[in-house]
Amino acid sequence: MANVIVKNLVKRFNAVTAVDNLSLEIHDREFAVLIGSSGCGKTTVLRMIAGLEPITSGEVFIGDTLVNDMEPKDRDIAMVFQNYALYPHMNVRDNLGFGLKIRKFPKAEIDARVQEAADILGIHDLLERKPKELSGGQRQRVALGRAIVRKPKVFLFDEPLSNLDAKLRVAMRAEISKLHRRLGATIIYVTHDQVEAMTMADRIFIMHKGTLQQTGAPMEVYLKPANLFVAGFIGSPSMNFIEAKVIREADAWWIDAGEFKLRAPAAFDARLEPHAGRTVIFGVRPEDMTAHDPAAGAGGGNTLTARADVVETLGAEIFVHLTCGALAIVARMEAPEQPLTEGQTVDVDLKMLKTHVFDKETSQTIV
Amino acid sequence: MATTRIGKKLKTIGFYAGAIALCVPPLFVFVWMILTGLKTGVQNISYPPEFIFVPTLENFRAVFEQYNFFHYLMNSLIIATLATVTSLLLGLPAAYSIAKYRQGRIGILILIARMLPFVSYLLPWYIIFRYLKLIDTYTALTISHLIITMPMVIWLMVSFFESMPAELEDAAMIDGCSRWQSFIRIVLPLMRNGIATSAIMSFIFSWNQFLFSLILSGPQTKTVPVAVYNFISYGKIDWAGIGAAATLIVLPVSIFAFFVRKSIVQGLTMGALKD
Repeated sequence: MANVIVKNLVKRFNAVTAVDNLSLEIHDREFAVLIGSSGCGKTTVLRMIAGLEPITSGEVFIGDTLVNDMEPKDRDIAMVFQNYALYPHMNVRDNLGFGLKIRKFPKAEIDARVQEAADILGIHDLLERKPKELSGGQRQRVALGRAIVRKPKVFLFDEPLSNLDAKLRVAMRAEISKLHRRLGATIIYVTHDQVEAMTMADRIFIMHKGTLQQTGAPMEVYLKPANLFVAGFIGSPSMNFIEAKVIREADAWWIDAGEFKLRAPAAFDARLEPHAGRTVIFGVRPEDMTAHDPAAGAGGGNTLTARADVVETLGAEIFVHLTCGALAIVARMEAPEQPLTEGQTVDVDLKMLKTHVFDKETSQTIV
Repeated sequence: MATTRIGKKLKTIGFYAGAIALCVPPLFVFVWMILTGLKTGVQNISYPPEFIFVPTLENFRAVFEQYNFFHYLMNSLIIATLATVTSLLLGLPAAYSIAKYRQGRIGILILIARMLPFVSYLLPWYIIFRYLKLIDTYTALTISHLIITMPMVIWLMVSFFESMPAELEDAAMIDGCSRWQSFIRIVLPLMRNGIATSAIMSFIFSWNQFLFSLILSGPQTKTVPVAVYNFISYGKIDWAGIGAAATLIVLPVSIFAFFVRKSIVQGLTMGALKD
């Protein structure tokens, strides 16, 4: 196993800069997830680490070796592709063993390793089949198996689950996590699906427009997003962003959105002070809003009144699309005993300690 | 209901009528050729033409005995095989790189070479090959046939290569292949249909090629189409001999094409429909 270090990586396609001076370090045995919306350069980074894409400038190290000028085959990596890329003219057994055969492993060793991978993935019955005779989930297992038999230093996954249906995806997610624990391998996993990132990653690397936005453990990036992009990208439904002014009133800092005014917790004071009187972006996650508790009474400074436009019921919880003047806000809360009706006016409490404030100009997080 | 059934029937009748109308003229020529080979010289020039007669195999015997036709058949076979193999050896990597590295311009250049009137090649080639003392050799004939077979291989195969997902090669390279290894072990096996189609087409076109063979061959390397041409002399035209010889030329390729027709159709339509 090995760590992977990327230093000042740049990739240009003619005039377009796909990856812009990206540096990151992935630790040995870490499950790292590169995430970002499509076109953010995450797959390009993966392909440069794999050696499938020439590097414009910068350095890639696998272990302690600079691999910039190494062929993919010499980098000791394995890759799982989005469309599986199984060799259509070979059966599953030959697909699994191909990488070893081409590296001139002895036949007994190949057989043993194929057997082992088949054991791990439960694909014994499929060994003699051709890829076209397999279902999507089975193909995905074979693709995983082809990576496992090689026992590489680093596993690279390029959106491996995006061609599977939702149910299978959940199952494979757990399976890949298990596999990671079992193999103790370094994994770099590219996805645009934040659920995959949150559930599987040791650390998430969030990319946007070819640059790295934030690195951290899943809960860390969820709780402490570094900027507006990360805040909006992680979490579902996404965080609500409201333009507001920071004002001082009655010995406290307030977030004044025009339609409503919220009292910032004392813990925010020091960081809000330099922004007094300025317009900022106030952010609150849908799940940090609850129906107003009448027992708490009014005047807590954390309640806003809005009209429920659309109520989406998901069973245990509901998504409420609220309108507050010109502002649209989504709240995600427990389904109340008395169902909300659309058009009804509701009071919503915000967990103010969990809210965020972002600089409008720099997009960076203030609180 | 009744009207739609009648309509359907009319459609079927129309379809077969059209198909027959299209097929009869070329088939008639074909049948006429075979009949000519089976008639005697006198029967062949009689008017009105005879359709009922006692067939004779005398012409076929004569073709082999008098004209040494077996030698020409072997020449054709050798040259068509050499031309096909050479154009695959050179054309497959060429088509691959045109497809892979988007070298459309080189592709066009090759197409232009193919589209130039063949007559324009004749004089320079004759001079060059004579200078190199290659007239009446398999080398000269094979090289000249490449101008026909290689563009065909390249243009057929480019669309095949383009239809192959790039990830397969990526996977092969990561699995441990060099670019050549991935080409030979992954790409080529997947191109079986395309390679078969282009090989068959190359072979047929080289087999049928007349003009280059006429000018560049000699007594040693004469191919069958040229040999048939020699049946026409100043004094007379040996129709019966031509008929028998032409049947012998057409027969191998026809039988061949009949057995591989599925793969030809598949191959010719595959590039058009990406799945």
